[in-house]
Amino acid sequence: MKRLLVLVVIAVLAFTSISIAAPRRGGTIRVGLNADPPNMDPHQSTAAVDRQVFQNLFDKLVDINQDLEIVPMLATSWTISENGRVYTFRLRTNVVFHDGTPFNAEAVKYNFDRMLDRSFGSLRFSEVNLVTNVQVVDNLTVRITLEKPYSPFLSIMADRAGMMVSPTAARQAGKGFSLQPVGTGPYRFVEKRPQERIVLERFDRHWDRNAGNAQQIIYRPFTDENARLANLRAGELDMIDAVAPSEVPRLRTDPQLKMAERVGIGWQGMWIQVESGIFANKALRQALNATIDRRTLVRVVFGETAEPGNGPFPPGMFTHSIPANSRVPERNLDLARQKLREGGQPNGFGFTLKVTPGRTPQQVAQVIQSMAGEVGIRVNIEIVEFGALLSQLDAHRFEASLLGWSGRPDPDANIYGFFVTGGTLNNSAYANSRVDALMDAARILTTPEQRRRAYTDVMNILNEDLPYLFLWWPKDYKVYSPKLQGFVHVPDGMMRFRHVWLNP
Amino acid sequence: MTRYLARRLLLTIPVLFFVSLIVFSLITLIPGDPARIMMGEEASREALEVLRKEMGLDRPLILRYGIWISHVLRGDLGRSVRDRRSVMQTLLQKIPVTAELAVTSLIVAWAIAIPAGALAAWKRRSAIDYAATTVALAGISIPNFWLGIMLIYLLAVNARLLPPGGYVEPWIDLGRNLKLMVMPSIVLGTALAALVMRLLRSSMIEVLGSDYVRTARAKGLSDRVLIIRHALKNAMIPVATIMGLQLGGLLGGAVITETIFAVPGVGRLAVDSILTRDYPMVQGVVLFAALAIVAVNLAVDVVYAFLDPRIRLEERSA
Repeated sequence: MKRLLVLVVIAVLAFTSISIAAPRRGGTIRVGLNADPPNMDPHQSTAAVDRQVFQNLFDKLVDINQDLEIVPMLATSWTISENGRVYTFRLRTNVVFHDGTPFNAEAVKYNFDRMLDRSFGSLRFSEVNLVTNVQVVDNLTVRITLEKPYSPFLSIMADRAGMMVSPTAARQAGKGFSLQPVGTGPYRFVEKRPQERIVLERFDRHWDRNAGNAQQIIYRPFTDENARLANLRAGELDMIDAVAPSEVPRLRTDPQLKMAERVGIGWQGMWIQVESGIFANKALRQALNATIDRRTLVRVVFGETAEPGNGPFPPGMFTHSIPANSRVPERNLDLARQKLREGGQPNGFGFTLKVTPGRTPQQVAQVIQSMAGEVGIRVNIEIVEFGALLSQLDAHRFEASLLGWSGRPDPDANIYGFFVTGGTLNNSAYANSRVDALMDAARILTTPEQRRRAYTDVMNILNEDLPYLFLWWPKDYKVYSPKLQGFVHVPDGMMRFRHVWLNP
Repeated sequence: MTRYLARRLLLTIPVLFFVSLIVFSLITLIPGDPARIMMGEEASREALEVLRKEMGLDRPLILRYGIWISHVLRGDLGRSVRDRRSVMQTLLQKIPVTAELAVTSLIVAWAIAIPAGALAAWKRRSAIDYAATTVALAGISIPNFWLGIMLIYLLAVNARLLPPGGYVEPWIDLGRNLKLMVMPSIVLGTALAALVMRLLRSSMIEVLGSDYVRTARAKGLSDRVLIIRHALKNAMIPVATIMGLQLGGLLGGAVITETIFAVPGVGRLAVDSILTRDYPMVQGVVLFAALAIVAVNLAVDVVYAFLDPRIRLEERSA
């Protein structure tokens, strides 16, 4: 009996060791991006697509995992002071930049100085401007003091502001750092030819011996989604970012390709300008909202590629379960008519909905147009070029507009700037001191439970006031060749290749 | 001829000047603050101010133009506001790509259009004529993006005969470079061929009806010699004009075709720069495109003189 048991154990062990294949070294991962990354300096970068390349070129102080939890990267551990203002990071040993410069507490200090230097004009300035002091405690310990407690700070360090650039290279190149970026990541920069390719090569001295399986990564921009997919199908690419919604059902059953799919961290919907004009009348905003059937809208326009939503926290965020965020309201035409009467427009009213060019925004606008039309709300759809629309939204020169947010892992970055009075991203010109106070409180509160409570109150107010109609949460897609192994789909949509490998 | 060329060259200077002035004013008329567009969805006031200043947007338009033109006259096209890349170097990277695609597309266009146009004129109202006309119309009517995607699926995804897109310099891998040019050249070439073919057909019909052709025929020249040696050369004059314009247009970049086949040429550079309001880059691209059109037109004039000696003589007597 005992012998049998041993045999079984051996058999099981043998089986599992076969099924967990060891990562292979070598090869080139060829990636199709949806745009050409314009800038390779994380402190100057503005385009979202830049961050795809950064994931492999740079290390950050900390990273996020699949469940949006903060995990160590260049910092192996950290402590936060009682008052929430002092972060002490213990740094990893034996880390060097691609140019041989050692990574240490001085390097971290230099990076913060660079981001905070007004004359340099870093695009990260507003993300780190609460930092009042960066102190080098010893070679591998750095202490960062904030002006006031700020619970999203670690998640900021898991993005571009936490990416460490080589002080030697950055001092030398100044603003030209983008042309020859130097980080500590598992891959180092080789070349970038605009609209053509970005080449990264394995960095042999990376601290993580298990990182960097492939020898090279080549990124190529394909703005046309059909061409991008065709290149993957033809075997010229190993992975692509974003696919046309219409392709998703077919890709799901495609034996030749693999597809990773999960709800992202961004939100989409409609801005309503509440300061002046017809929508200064809250009842009319509520009337419009009651006419919209979010489930039907998503089914018609997005099929399976989005989820109906009612707030800024998609599934995966710890604040998602807040009822005012996750419960999708039913369409209610009686309520809409009642609100129209309350708002003094019993026969309905008209407004202009501004949308960016492209098929999807127009389809969404048309669905809303027909839904709102049933109670006499007339939607006039106007197509405005993206750049022009941004200017109009900044100046609050619009009635309503379809525009969303790509999302960040911490709930704060998905709500604060958009609804705080006078916020740069507050397109609605919404002002509510109670919301301001609650959102400020959520920045100070440290436990998820406390923060969830604060955001519950915020969401109850926002769902009543409706400066923004949250309508859907888009899903993120990656399609790749079965040769590509070990890919972990983090909801931020970033392609982290450090532990990915290619089978022959 | 030299004097003629010199005069034409001098005339290009005011042309380029006006083009640059118009482009400079037009791009600033596009709604939307370029600094704001560069920052995308996230914008902070501090960063916006720094960026505006850096892009020189706080200065008056006329001053900005003056600074730009004075740099251009010294051969400095400036740097991209997106990543500090030199505009001149970027252009020098893109121009050979676009030039190669332009030339291969024209070769495809000519290879189709000249025989088809000549045949259609010679065998007017025959099955050949109708077939050529139908093919020509199809070439013009089929949108480039559709034909492009279809070719990729047929030749690259299913048959695996050709790579689906991209670019390799000919001196690195000539074989692959030529393979990569096949599909984009077909897409561009077939669209251009239609126009050339129709024009050549009508111009040829006119020539074939002229007195000297009748005389040549009476002398007993064979149809083949007559068409190739006499009629075709004379019928080519209006065609050369169109081809010149087409080449000029191609050098400005074929945006859709470049996008579908991931050809890193001038066209995609232009579109990316306009969408991101990268002023120095847009200016550089447009200046080059204008220069290309002027140069090609000049070349066409020289070709006229070769095709028709009367043009040379007129110039001498004038």
